[in-house]
Amino acid sequence: MNAIFEEIKEAIIDGDEELAVELAEKVVAEKIDPVQAVQLGFIKGIEEVGKSWTNGEAFLPDVMMAADAMKAGMDVLEGVLAAGEGEGSYEDKGKIVLGTVEGDIHDIGKNIVGALLTAAGFKVYDIGIDQKAEDFVAKADEVGAKILAASSLLTTTMKSQKVLVEYLSDQNIRDNYKVIIGGGPTSKKWGDEIGADGWAETADEAVELCKQLLN
Amino acid sequence: MMLPKFDILTIEQVDKIHKNSMKILNEIGVEFSYDPVIEIFKKHGQRVEGHRVYFDPEFVENMVEKAPSQFTLHARNPEHNLVCGGENIIYMPGYGAPFVYEADGLKRDATMDDYNNFVKLAGASKNMHMTGGTVVEPTDVEDEIRHLEMAYSHIINSDKCFMGSSSGYEHAKDSIEMTALLHGGMDVIKEKPALICLINSVTPLKYDDRMLGGLMAYAETGQAMVIASLVMSGSTGPATMAGALSLQNAEVLAGITLAQCINPGTPVVYGSTSAVTDMSTGSLSIGNPENALFTSASAQFARFYGVPCRGGGGLTDSKTVDAQAGYESMMVLFAASTTGVNFVMHTAGILQYYMAMSYEKFMVDDEIAGMILRYLKGFDCDSDEKMAFDVIEKVGPGGHFLTQKHTRKNFKLEFFRPALSDRQSFDGWSKDSLDTNQRAKLKWQEVLASYVPPALDPEVNEKILTYIEERSKELLKK
Ligand code: B12
Repeated sequence: MNAIFEEIKEAIIDGDEELAVELAEKVVAEKIDPVQAVQLGFIKGIEEVGKSWTNGEAFLPDVMMAADAMKAGMDVLEGVLAAGEGEGSYEDKGKIVLGTVEGDIHDIGKNIVGALLTAAGFKVYDIGIDQKAEDFVAKADEVGAKILAASSLLTTTMKSQKVLVEYLSDQNIRDNYKVIIGGGPTSKKWGDEIGADGWAETADEAVELCKQLLN
Repeated sequence: MMLPKFDILTIEQVDKIHKNSMKILNEIGVEFSYDPVIEIFKKHGQRVEGHRVYFDPEFVENMVEKAPSQFTLHARNPEHNLVCGGENIIYMPGYGAPFVYEADGLKRDATMDDYNNFVKLAGASKNMHMTGGTVVEPTDVEDEIRHLEMAYSHIINSDKCFMGSSSGYEHAKDSIEMTALLHGGMDVIKEKPALICLINSVTPLKYDDRMLGGLMAYAETGQAMVIASLVMSGSTGPATMAGALSLQNAEVLAGITLAQCINPGTPVVYGSTSAVTDMSTGSLSIGNPENALFTSASAQFARFYGVPCRGGGGLTDSKTVDAQAGYESMMVLFAASTTGVNFVMHTAGILQYYMAMSYEKFMVDDEIAGMILRYLKGFDCDSDEKMAFDVIEKVGPGGHFLTQKHTRKNFKLEFFRPALSDRQSFDGWSKDSLDTNQRAKLKWQEVLASYVPPALDPEVNEKILTYIEERSKELLKK
């Protein structure tokens, strides 16, 4: 096994974004098998972090920095992976568009959800705060995401989650996506009421939810 | 005499943090998304790039200087007028919670009925000096007109001071207009401020449109405002206490500077709700020693700048009225009160880091507030009667004081009388074996049932109702 895979794994565990990028660039430059780099390097690293998180040994900065490093490194490899280079193929567990709804600027919870989803092997496209229904859909279509994940922290902006579901129905594209929602004042009841495909109270539960939905 | 408030930072520490904040303001700057505000800062000669303002430290110091060290907030009933600042402390219910947690653990959306109930409980309490603002988020009222209904609840259910809306210029204006009607005209309240609101920065280092619109409306009409920063140390701010405090301090100073630019001398309160992030879940955590420290340090900084301070409260991360809720709330409220906070939003009712209000928790916090208010009065050594030499002499060695007139008169003046705590014998208690949560439930029901809101002049009421009706029509049409 190429020693670089172990280095990549360590870089992810350390949450060292710069090093992860550097190593990924080396993989491309030296024509090392990118699929192996992902599976034996990046994924091994993030799995390790995920395990420590589940055991309660890792804390948010550990997981979020690891997720950032993973994302940055994987972005470098995107081109060669898409070109089908390497033995076998690598596929992420699913693509998710994540954002905070229109009128709302709270983003800590959303960022944590994004990081844990990334750590669990999903490809997360974070479109940021104060995002309209159209913005979620535009991004999803651009990247081919199947899940739209909308965060809201205010009782006054929760209705933007409803607007998102209604927008999909109005455009006759409701069946193309799974919509999941979350954030402090939301509830399972609210999710059911607006016809969302799922709700989760915590980021850990959000990961479980996405696993179920994409199965 | 009130208990002297103590400092928790040395002069050197204050100086270091102050300079750090000034460096942040000057070299990193603060972002204001609202264009009119950018114009104001340009006019005052501050360096502006896009929406980022880089402050000149001397300018900040000069502007903060213009803010009054204390001011009077006027109530419908002048007996409830409040002095904010100096040695005074003002308690009120929790602010902004979207949920109500019931005694049996049920979680539900807060409603307008809850809103009225909490205002009434605050109206009835001798420990709550004001009825607060946004005592819950009444989710059954359309949000376009929620601010009108909420203001009316404070007006009709009590004659104490209250807080108004700050969510945008228009909503703020509505609360101010309604308060003006209550007090006999805008001229009256411009002269005698009667409304106060909460303006929050968006940590780190930003102020958004809605809040800035609210700030302009209050500053223009000379109404008071709390300018607060909530740094979640570890997530929206650095994980060091000194770093987070420097950041908070920079944000609050920027906000106070803006208010003073708009209307020099307008009453402001230095606000802090900084606390820590729970590093396993990311959630805000408020029932802890760090929050108590941030609160006390903020009181000291407010003294340093010569403005009143807002901070603390009956704060807890607990989901139910249990021991955790009690000890956490006591810690933060005690720290706030003994180190010189003047304006304590969230004194009563909060559970789970501002997410919920609880009636039972309200009664527990009300009790805690009563205990602390007593504590703050300290010792009275001002008269011979208080020194009690004569009665000690009279009883002499080996006697007892239970049958002395001095006792009969003074215990009532000096002892805190619990309203909720149980001091019975075991047998007495075990007849019903009620814990605090259960007793609190009986208590608030009893208080609500017997509460009679102070009458409001029907003519004034009519005017306010007409205003609400007309504005509601306009707002719901949009
Ligand atoms: C920090 C904070 C702020 C910061 C936000 C900074 C930032 N960069 O995000 C600032 C100061 C800017 C702010 C502003 C305001 N806030 Co605020 N804020 C909070 C606070 C204290 C913590 C929020 C937070 O980050 N929690 C930690 C994270 C980790 O929790 P979380 O977001 O709930 O996320 C978890 C889950 O919900 C879930 N999740 C989240 N998103 C998603 C998405 C999906 C798809 C899924 C499946 C799951 C999921 O997973 C996360 C991790 O477990 C809350 C109170 C509270 N305790 O929650 C108030 C609170 C939400 N704010 C409130 C209010 C009112 C406001 C303001 C209007 C002004 C004000 N009075 O403070 C403005 C509104 C600005 C705007 N237009 O959005 C109210 C809302 C009440 C209501 N009506 O609903 C609250 C409840 C406080 C209160 N009691 O007043 N706020």
